[in-house]
Amino acid sequence: MAKRYTSLAYKNADDMIFGKSVYPVKAELGLEVGAGYVTGEVNYAPRPEAGVSKDKLVSEYRRLTTDIMARAVQVGFPGISLETEHVEQMTNNPDWGGEVAHVQKTIMEEYHEEYGIKTALRHTPGDIRENRDLLALIGDKYDTLMESFEAVAEGGADFLSIETMGGKEILDYAILRNDVPGLIYAIGCLGSLDMTMIWEDIRKIADKKGRIAAGDTDCAQANTAMFIAGGLLDKNLAHTLAIIARAISAPRTLAGYEAGAQGPGKDCGYENTIVKAITGCPIAQEGKTSTCAHSDVMGNLVMQCCDLWSNESVEYHGEFGGTSVQCWSESLNYDAAMLNVATETGNAKMLRDILVLSDKYRDPQGYVLAYDNAYKVAEAIAKDGDDLYLRAKNAAIACVDILNSADTNKLVMSKFETNALADAKAALDALTDESDTFMSDSLEKYKAEVAVFRPDDNYKF
Amino acid sequence: MDVDPSKILVRYNVQKEKAQTPEEMAAEMYPSEEPAKTIAAAIFEGEEDDVIEGLEKAIEGGADPIGLIDDVLMPGMKIVTDLYDQGVIFLPNVMMSADAMLDGIEFCKEQGAAPKAKGKVVCHVAEGDVHDIGKTIVAALLRAAGYDVVDLGRDVPVDEVIAAVKKESPMMLTGTALMTTTMYAFKEVNDRLLESGIKVPFQCGGGAVNQDFVTQYELGVYGEEAADAPKMADAILAGKGLAQLKESFHKH
Repeated sequence: MAKRYTSLAYKNADDMIFGKSVYPVKAELGLEVGAGYVTGEVNYAPRPEAGVSKDKLVSEYRRLTTDIMARAVQVGFPGISLETEHVEQMTNNPDWGGEVAHVQKTIMEEYHEEYGIKTALRHTPGDIRENRDLLALIGDKYDTLMESFEAVAEGGADFLSIETMGGKEILDYAILRNDVPGLIYAIGCLGSLDMTMIWEDIRKIADKKGRIAAGDTDCAQANTAMFIAGGLLDKNLAHTLAIIARAISAPRTLAGYEAGAQGPGKDCGYENTIVKAITGCPIAQEGKTSTCAHSDVMGNLVMQCCDLWSNESVEYHGEFGGTSVQCWSESLNYDAAMLNVATETGNAKMLRDILVLSDKYRDPQGYVLAYDNAYKVAEAIAKDGDDLYLRAKNAAIACVDILNSADTNKLVMSKFETNALADAKAALDALTDESDTFMSDSLEKYKAEVAVFRPDDNYKF
Repeated sequence: MDVDPSKILVRYNVQKEKAQTPEEMAAEMYPSEEPAKTIAAAIFEGEEDDVIEGLEKAIEGGADPIGLIDDVLMPGMKIVTDLYDQGVIFLPNVMMSADAMLDGIEFCKEQGAAPKAKGKVVCHVAEGDVHDIGKTIVAALLRAAGYDVVDLGRDVPVDEVIAAVKKESPMMLTGTALMTTTMYAFKEVNDRLLESGIKVPFQCGGGAVNQDFVTQYELGVYGEEAADAPKMADAILAGKGLAQLKESFHKH
């Protein structure tokens, strides 16, 4: 049984800062994450045509890894972290992912030996637990996924991560219908149940292979909401609803740590500041230097408490300044250097607050994720940390309360956003305080409404 | 430390917001006569029970089910999609309205109506890709606009896409993908269709898909937004060919 967090790792929000965590983690080739400095974590995707065979894929990763390491030493960076997010072929064929990890780690070892550069390799197998028509969280695909983790750990991956999809069959339905209780059920309840199961097994593999069970993200759900919400002028989802989904995602991501993850948390988990407040574990984040992958409305703010600083993903190809991975890894590490200078000169909190204030009032999402408010959400989660439903509900309520108590001269929201917020508050006010009641009511409702929902098969109900 | 944000950012969405509420704007667009007015309001609110109730009353009063589809349900839904296109309402409102409208159409079919769709569109998610929320939105918006959608689902093998196009002879094929490696299947679909002599517009979009990629194959037309799907279908109905579609929808 996973032990749930019922208290926070930090006594005050102001204690939270970039580059430092309560519980740093150290990789094989010297890179320590959360130990007082920030490091760039470069992410990449192979060119589309590279996926046709194992040889082509391995060759692609060999080239891009060499490019990244070469640029890092050319510009004099003390460390670099690499993250390989699998294309599906690499997870479905565990030996492909294992071979890629081995080739990458070998190159990184060569650079480490020759130059002393500190480095770490994260591998993120894809969550392949789906069939054509249905989520298949438990069964043959689960076994293949675990084989993939074994293979990449054996191949040399220091940090093991994944972006799990538990609850997504309900999220996809609920998010398009402004259904806040559905978000709580999908993300906070079903997602957390799945996270608890899978992260206990990932931790076992990490321990067996001497690797680090790093962390998950609610990419499949909260990022879906964030991307659908889009920019200021997009009309696909109220940004106030997107941040409620994000707040609910924090207890879900937390469930991974409760089941054995140690950090660094995954870059696209914009909920990570909330999670770090509770766990004290290091986190990766992405923002202004991940515009190659997607736009957000809080690009500086999310640097506030990062330990690794990521570009999310970029396709491997040529740019004027070198290959794409070279260009973006260089940008990431210049950012990291700036943050580390602030730390070395005693100006870290000043820089953190400047980063936060550049985006805090840009959008409701940044406002709630600013570390002072994120800390309040964390407190609400820990208050009922033992109850998956209540802590998710608490996170949503805290999010709504934070927005409703904001200075309206600074956080200016549209009527759409405030109306959606009012509707969400009404829905939350109507929710039961009884977990069993909520779970049974939701089970009945979504079994009737969502044809692809298979609770018994996926969540062991 | 705090800041007056007015000098460092602008919330253009607040500045541009209409003075009228969406409900007020919709009310101005409802037909004046009953039962169309009540049913249009029920569609706007996404209340399927009220839609059915309105249809039942209308049929009891002698209304023709097919006429209700053509003259009441479809125009009612158009109010919703027009307001969405104007940036007045959000996508979830459209989805809920579409659910209500489609329930209404099903009810009319049960009463004997055999509606004629504006055209047929085949939708799929690329082979190897299970991310299908984009396709779900595309299919819903197409249905809401009066198109017959053949939804092949997600992770659809190329062979299956080709077979479906041959069987259904759609006016348009859509493909969505989140990942760079899976979107490569679009090229194969394109090549196989051309080999078979089929020149159907192939709208591609989603996640990592971009215009540069889609322009690499002849049948590809880039759809940046899900809402482009019904617009592209309408353009095809209006007689636009591949070159004109690319001219209209390739914005970059």
